[in-house]
Amino acid sequence: MNVCIKIFRHDPASDEQGRFVEYDVPFEEGMSVLDAVNYVSNYIDTSLSVRWNCKAARCGSCAAEIDNIPKLMCKTKITSDSVTVGPMRAFPLVKDLVTDITSNYDKLRSIKPFTPGKAQSGVWRMNEDDVVRSQEFRKCIECYLCMDVCHVMRLHNTNYVGPRHVIKAASIDMHPLDSLDRSVELKEKHGLGYCNVTKCCQDVCPEKIQITDNAIIPEKERAADAIYDPIIRLIRKIRGVK
Amino acid sequence: MNLEDILPKEFLEPNIRLYSFILLIVIGLAALIAFPVKEYAGYIDPFYSPTLLIIPIIGLFRLTCYAFRKDYNRHLFKHPLQCPALPSADSSARAYTGETSLFMKIENYHRYFMYVALAVLPFFYYDLFVSLTYSGIFVLRLGSILMGLDVVLLTLYVFSCHSIRNLVGGRNDCYGCGLSAKMRKDVYKSQSFLNKHHRTFAWLSLLSIIAVDLFIRALTAGIGIDFVIMHVVL
Repeated sequence: MNVCIKIFRHDPASDEQGRFVEYDVPFEEGMSVLDAVNYVSNYIDTSLSVRWNCKAARCGSCAAEIDNIPKLMCKTKITSDSVTVGPMRAFPLVKDLVTDITSNYDKLRSIKPFTPGKAQSGVWRMNEDDVVRSQEFRKCIECYLCMDVCHVMRLHNTNYVGPRHVIKAASIDMHPLDSLDRSVELKEKHGLGYCNVTKCCQDVCPEKIQITDNAIIPEKERAADAIYDPIIRLIRKIRGVK
Repeated sequence: MNLEDILPKEFLEPNIRLYSFILLIVIGLAALIAFPVKEYAGYIDPFYSPTLLIIPIIGLFRLTCYAFRKDYNRHLFKHPLQCPALPSADSSARAYTGETSLFMKIENYHRYFMYVALAVLPFFYYDLFVSLTYSGIFVLRLGSILMGLDVVLLTLYVFSCHSIRNLVGGRNDCYGCGLSAKMRKDVYKSQSFLNKHHRTFAWLSLLSIIAVDLFIRALTAGIGIDFVIMHVVL
């Protein structure tokens, strides 16, 4: 049995616009989309550009839009006789399925780094529960599927930094020994207010990180503490809490 | 100042879903005012608990709620209609403000509406008490069970709120750094469990309010759907 795989082909250096090209690939039990794309790349058209690395959903390199839903190619099994694969359209295209995700690294650098407060007798002691909360966000494999699915990133030209970078900020903000609060900066400089909580980023995350519930909404609430709630602001000032 | 500077751009688009939703609210409010059914045989209509005047604030509590935001942003504003990239009703040609426009900034004040909702909640428990004891003896009727269900769902909805999650521990980075660390941690974990089901409680509590209202209206109209389950002389 063959599978018809439609792959987006576009070389900006020579083509005016891209198109979907159909390839017939022999189906094997348990075949992933990446297996099929690699078959095309190895045996049918070696000019096909595709980025992949670990084949185990750990590196995040093979992110693509499979039947219009952002997914990892290596983690997506082929379950029908036809499948469509395109590049992540939130990022500039390099060629075929490869996109330029450099902008994400610039955004990451714009988030203030971990800034520890006063160490306790030279030793950092942390409650396990506090660390677990922050650790959830460190499971991120930087596949940028959340950035791709976010309609603000894809369609609207705003200063929103995107879900991946909000969880980066949240992972440091919620660290028990960090001394800074990044929520106001997220709100005022990084466009957190543009997120309208439709939770698509959370739905596509291959690591099942609760991006909206555990990072974006808590950061929005922390920003509301600082900007819109004078009582909380006063209490925190008196208590000397960040 | 232009209208575009105040209202979200989505309000100014041809949007039949949004306008029909607003029309539904207007009709609902008109029905409440034109055909008031405040009380029947010990049952107090939930829309009048404690007063009809509180409805706009409770309405704002729900409209600024994170659970409902997802629904109206997707299904009314279509920003986006669904997560898959295509077909999408959203496009770069459509203006988008999120919660940055002057009007939508009200979403940042969700916590204040939550405080009002917390203050209103005891009135529903009082109404339940009245429905059980209005005749001088303890009478459990079908209507009281519906009201009991309603008050439980409302309590779960309010207490699973994201603003309460922030209040009871979401804003803390360190549970071991202060007094009552274990208690604070347990409260936060329990609330987080409720919070996962916030959207479910939001819808169920909305349905239960309407169900109780319709039940009381049916009784007022003479439809005998209520019956006594048990009674105890006090």
